[in-house]
Amino acid sequence: MIPLLDQDAILRAKANTKKPETMEEQGLRVRYHVENPLKGGRAQRFLEAFAAILKHSSYGLILEQYVRTSLKCARCAVSCMLYEATGDPKDVPCYRSAFLIETYRRHFTLAGSLKAKLFGDPGLTDETIEEMADSFYNCTACRKCVLECPAGIDHGLLTHLGRYILSEIGITPRALVVSVREQVQGKTRNTSAIPIPAMIDSCEFLEEEIEEAKGAKVKFPIDQEGAEHLFFAPVSDYMMEADTLCGIAAVLHQIGASWTIGTKNFDGINYGLFYSDIIMDRVLNEIPKEVKRLKTKKVLIGECGHASRTAKVFLKTFCEEGESPPVVSIIELTHAALKAGKLKLDPNVVTDRVVYHDPCNMARKGWIIDQPREILRAFCKDYVEMTPNGRENYCCGGGGGTVSIDELRPYRTSIAGKKKAEQLQETGAKLVVAPCANCKKQLREVVDDNGLDCEIVGLHDLIFRAIILQENDSPEKTPESTIPNE
Amino acid sequence: MATIELAGKQFDVDEDGFIQDATDWDEAVAAAIAPTEGVDSMTEEHWVVVNFIRDYYKEFGVAPMIRKLCKSTKMDLKKIYELFPSGPAKGACKIAGLPKPTGCV
Repeated sequence: MIPLLDQDAILRAKANTKKPETMEEQGLRVRYHVENPLKGGRAQRFLEAFAAILKHSSYGLILEQYVRTSLKCARCAVSCMLYEATGDPKDVPCYRSAFLIETYRRHFTLAGSLKAKLFGDPGLTDETIEEMADSFYNCTACRKCVLECPAGIDHGLLTHLGRYILSEIGITPRALVVSVREQVQGKTRNTSAIPIPAMIDSCEFLEEEIEEAKGAKVKFPIDQEGAEHLFFAPVSDYMMEADTLCGIAAVLHQIGASWTIGTKNFDGINYGLFYSDIIMDRVLNEIPKEVKRLKTKKVLIGECGHASRTAKVFLKTFCEEGESPPVVSIIELTHAALKAGKLKLDPNVVTDRVVYHDPCNMARKGWIIDQPREILRAFCKDYVEMTPNGRENYCCGGGGGTVSIDELRPYRTSIAGKKKAEQLQETGAKLVVAPCANCKKQLREVVDDNGLDCEIVGLHDLIFRAIILQENDSPEKTPESTIPNE
Repeated sequence: MATIELAGKQFDVDEDGFIQDATDWDEAVAAAIAPTEGVDSMTEEHWVVVNFIRDYYKEFGVAPMIRKLCKSTKMDLKKIYELFPSGPAKGACKIAGLPKPTGCV
């Protein structure tokens, strides 16, 4: 049994570093920055927003079931890394979910309203809204607790819904709002505000890097009409993850894939998944537009858990323009290429101990678990697993958009990242493979703040080290890729 | 929005102290921001990094890819972290007068 954090450490991790004047003025004491929260009468407006969302979505059907089945048995407690770190009953997933379930019961069911009248229950208060605003951003929406709940309650979905309603009354971390604003109405149309010439400059720089490292001319095709795959990286990769992008381009080159980056939309990130269905819908619908403009056939998502899941799972639901294009993860594509014998990976390059971290958004439903492991085992001399892993993995501690919120770093790397830090340490691995921009940033901060001795890399970073490229000055770009059954 | 005085000039800054409009940015301003990011004094190596970021930002409107920064300044990432303890994206860019990076950076 690993001990809990002591009370002092918990207080330090949850310390509110914001200016007291700001919180006084906003009448809101949450640890993240908020731009313009609604002042006063929050409970009433929260209920109005809740009612509107229930009317225009199918959340009502789900809540109707949850008010009947929620047992508050707290079996989920054993699966939550937050509760395991703090031992605080408020960190038990079903405690958090009760905010919405009880609000729904009290205000949107007949029995609940009658009971409230009978016992003089005043209903939702502004104080409870403040508690929710804190609680829903303590949770990283990793959904590990979903595996434990005997009543099948999706606590991660309720965190999402809670944040969605809060966003309608102006309570969303500023870091998320600013990035989304740039993506949906800014000049650059991406979350890291990278102008097109800068993205192209990065790609040209990486082409030189690949030639220097591998002696092969590898292109990052831009705006190639009729390519099979339209590539969406989490856009921050164009600033932070040179090796991930080099590895992806090298693999696509080696297998003769037909692919392109589109200049009108090259950001796979969709923070709507974290706090708003309206934003998720808007950002998702920019994907088919670019697919149509460049006449491509498939959407190829880079190393990013939430971007992959959003496109794979929700594009079908939200797509307004006819049939939604098929979505493929670069990990699936690389795996298929390996199985088809199209990749040559030198088994003598990566000799340090390697462990794979599962990004929750890829692994929780069993979508991408075995593929990256088969790839890594094919060339890493000392590959190990952490426990638990796969579907039952622990979150990096920065999921659900919290990694972008710098003011939550002490919380993320001590409380939320405690379990992951212990897991990494137990494996003794020198290289931690995390194929997700979100996990990479968080894990690097966990490693720094906890004094661990390991390096965080992407899957394609390691592939890039080991891949043997054929020199090919003018690679034949066929319109159809020859990769079977990706 | 808060206002702070740096090297005798007034600047609007965000919650994390990033200056909002860099028109009035100069080396004296950079030197005044530096201590807030754990840089006690700006050495020649600090200026190589800050000036590269600044020039890249003027040309492209965004900070350079970190690998490009390392390669162009002939410093590895470890060295950059030694110079700027809060890292290239937060520390060096802030001193160079760039807006706070957004998204997963």
